[in-house]
Amino acid sequence: MSEVQRRKYSQEEKNSIFDGEFMPHIDSMYNFAYRLTFDEDDAKDLVQDTYLKAYRFINSFEQGTNAKAWLFRILKNSFINEYRKKSKQPAKVDYQEVETYYNSDDVDFRGTTDLRAESVKDMIGDEISNALNSLAVDFRTVIILCDLEGFTYEEMAKILDIPIGTVRSRLHRARNLLKEKLKGYAQHMGYNTDEEE
Amino acid sequence: MDKKEESAGERKLQCSDVSKCFELLESILDGEMGDPGKEVLKEKLAKCQPCFEHYHLEQAIRDLLKTKCSKQAVPGELVDSIRTKISDIK
Repeated sequence: MSEVQRRKYSQEEKNSIFDGEFMPHIDSMYNFAYRLTFDEDDAKDLVQDTYLKAYRFINSFEQGTNAKAWLFRILKNSFINEYRKKSKQPAKVDYQEVETYYNSDDVDFRGTTDLRAESVKDMIGDEISNALNSLAVDFRTVIILCDLEGFTYEEMAKILDIPIGTVRSRLHRARNLLKEKLKGYAQHMGYNTDEEE
Repeated sequence: MDKKEESAGERKLQCSDVSKCFELLESILDGEMGDPGKEVLKEKLAKCQPCFEHYHLEQAIRDLLKTKCSKQAVPGELVDSIRTKISDIK
């Protein structure tokens, strides 16, 4: 992740890194971009821009380090710097307010007593996808990186430029929010979420 | 020991620090605590009912996210378009 250019790769090495280490992640990159933008064209532009930047700055990529995390970091920064500004964001959630609210013990306890593992197991893809997509982007991002893409907290800290402790607490809050959404679906499905039957 | 984990009767019904405990449980589930984490997990599952329930709920949600979250297929023209643009700047 160092910004320092260690050495210059030859054209052949550049091609080999690009094809061998960058392109294999296009599937994850596109899905990450789509989950950030919810738009096929925006997602395509974002991924394309990311790969062009990756190529342009390939000398700052150190071979043997985690290419996927390096690419995700570029994509996340491009999204924040360019797309988030221009995109018509739906009803912006007050991040601070949400974070403060869900930091209380009360919510933790309620969240787990009201939703049961059994009702979650019967849910289908649409419900979990909708629940995830309805979260504010910062919360959605940590769940995508951790649970869908399998990044470690340390890798997430580098991708998001935040301390590991913040990764941990943001994930915890994101999961509480996700559980609240899933609870809504469980109730809609007719599960008794308040007490065991 | 395993039998004990299955029996809810011996677990305390109230967790003294739910927020801290659940955050720790989640870190363990995320594989961030290594082997010491496994020991802590074993202990918590055996002794604390809220932790036991939270663990199973978290596990179910993780499984759901991993297996059922809809994935988008990469548009066919995207790779070609990237390659064309790259060869332009080479």
